[in-house]
Amino acid sequence: MSVVKEFTKGFWQELPPFRLVLGLCPTLAVTTMAENGLGMGLATTFVLVFSNLLVSILRKLIPGKVRIASYIVVIASFVVMAELLLQAYWYPMYKALGIFVPLIVVNCIILGRAEAFASKNPIILSLADGLGIGLGFTISLTVLGGIREILGSGKLFGAEVMWSSFEPLGFMVKAPGAFVCLGFLLGLMNIISRRRPAH
Amino acid sequence: MGDYLLLIVSAILVSNIVLARYLGNCPFLGVSQKMDTAVGMGMAVIFVVTLAGMITWVVQYAILNPLGLEYLRTIAFILVIASLVQLVEMFLQKSVPALYKALGIFLPLITTNCAVLGIAIINIQEEFNFMQTVVFSFASAVGFSLAMVLLASLRERFPTARIPSAFAGMPIAMITVGLLALAFLGFTGLTG
Amino acid sequence: MRDLIKMVVVLLVICTTSGVVLSYVNEATKAPREYQYIKFVQEPSIKAVLSDYDNDPVKERIKLAVGEDEEGNPIEIVVFPAKKGGATQAIAYSAAAKGYHDLIEVMVGVGPEGKLTGISIMTHTETPGLGARIVEPEFTDQFAGLDLDTTKLSAEGGKVDTLSGATFSTVGVITAVGAALEQFPQIKKETF
Repeated sequence: MSVVKEFTKGFWQELPPFRLVLGLCPTLAVTTMAENGLGMGLATTFVLVFSNLLVSILRKLIPGKVRIASYIVVIASFVVMAELLLQAYWYPMYKALGIFVPLIVVNCIILGRAEAFASKNPIILSLADGLGIGLGFTISLTVLGGIREILGSGKLFGAEVMWSSFEPLGFMVKAPGAFVCLGFLLGLMNIISRRRPAH
Repeated sequence: MGDYLLLIVSAILVSNIVLARYLGNCPFLGVSQKMDTAVGMGMAVIFVVTLAGMITWVVQYAILNPLGLEYLRTIAFILVIASLVQLVEMFLQKSVPALYKALGIFLPLITTNCAVLGIAIINIQEEFNFMQTVVFSFASAVGFSLAMVLLASLRERFPTARIPSAFAGMPIAMITVGLLALAFLGFTGLTG
Repeated sequence: MRDLIKMVVVLLVICTTSGVVLSYVNEATKAPREYQYIKFVQEPSIKAVLSDYDNDPVKERIKLAVGEDEEGNPIEIVVFPAKKGGATQAIAYSAAAKGYHDLIEVMVGVGPEGKLTGISIMTHTETPGLGARIVEPEFTDQFAGLDLDTTKLSAEGGKVDTLSGATFSTVGVITAVGAALEQFPQIKKETF
């Protein structure tokens, strides 16, 4: 049961970046299009799952004083791997995400999960936690990217979805649009979660 | 000289590190509730970013490039930054206790501030020379502090404003940042 | 003391493992990475400068050594041949020269007589609205049919018109194309 619980909490109770306000930079930067949000989400999930796995395996071997340094090395290694794999098999996405691929290493969600969860829990639970949080992050980014893409350029996943006389709000795909859009979504989440009693 | 001036103006105003390049948002929103913490964090960031920019530049051109290890850049840079922050913390604690008292609590947060790693990577991607690296790193960090101080001064007024309760805290801060970013968009074209 | 040794050993083991694994992944992804780079950065340009062929120029690419640099390392260029019925019709390869800001990388297509079949700008960082107009067909189309002697500014007896307000960018493209054409006699021996 608890595996399911650890897996599903990433989709609502601890849904990043809305309920767990971490990892804001990639959230804001790459969500100009739904596809880029999806790519960033998947790359982050890859790193999160494997770093959780490794940290959980090594949790009894790593001395407390150097644990953060060890986690950073583990995470950075998987980030470099993700960089190389993206370059080799998904080059347009690698170009589109640009500097934010190496910056996955400082996404606080990943170090946060390693320290708060994987370092204290067995392997299976840590995998479920990483996968759940990662996919939750992916969905959030894709949705945010979708909203900004529809309003900012009248498209979704590159296909025209708005009526022909729709005037795109160019502001939405620029930095201010990112902040305002995320702000409104956060507010909306607060309203919804208040109606739904907490577990 | 004019080139450096342009680089400074562009890094602080036109391509502000937080408001236009989306870097360093977590500490930017996390510690900008009060003016004095915002100033403290800003100072610590200026100090670490400038140092980290210089060291990572040397690491890239003196170690990684000659050995053909460019693909290890991410891991090398984050290790340099993490150890640098640790060293600065130890040094300040021992030799400048007053400064340590002011900046100390912000230093551990800086390792995972993506502005530090981000600026270090931009320096390499833009193929800056050493002088440009120093100037750009410093100016970007000043831009970060400027944005943070501006936001803190706005957020200090929130308690007196009537904000819908669902938007209190992070949502309204985010929207405020959006408006701030909109204002900074007005600087576009300033550097041609 | 034992704690210290344990810490150092654990960190060393983690770092070494990470280094070994990453260098393996780096080697393993080398070929697909090179292929993706060619496919997404160079192929559109290759298609733009070659016409009338029935093979896959990217798959049949050949590496040629043309001379040596100052340190005695061979300078290699990659040639993409366009064939029809097995006979080479034209070849495409790239060259670069400094524009107003930074390097401009140009893909050139050359026929058997050393005449350009077309050029295409692959990467550049020229000023938008001014130098960046070098990518427009109005500019690149005038190179088709030129040879080494006519690839000069009209003002200097050649056949290329300067883009108004972008002399440095124009000259950068001409220099790159000229450098490519100068290598042609050597490349011709190996390809046609």
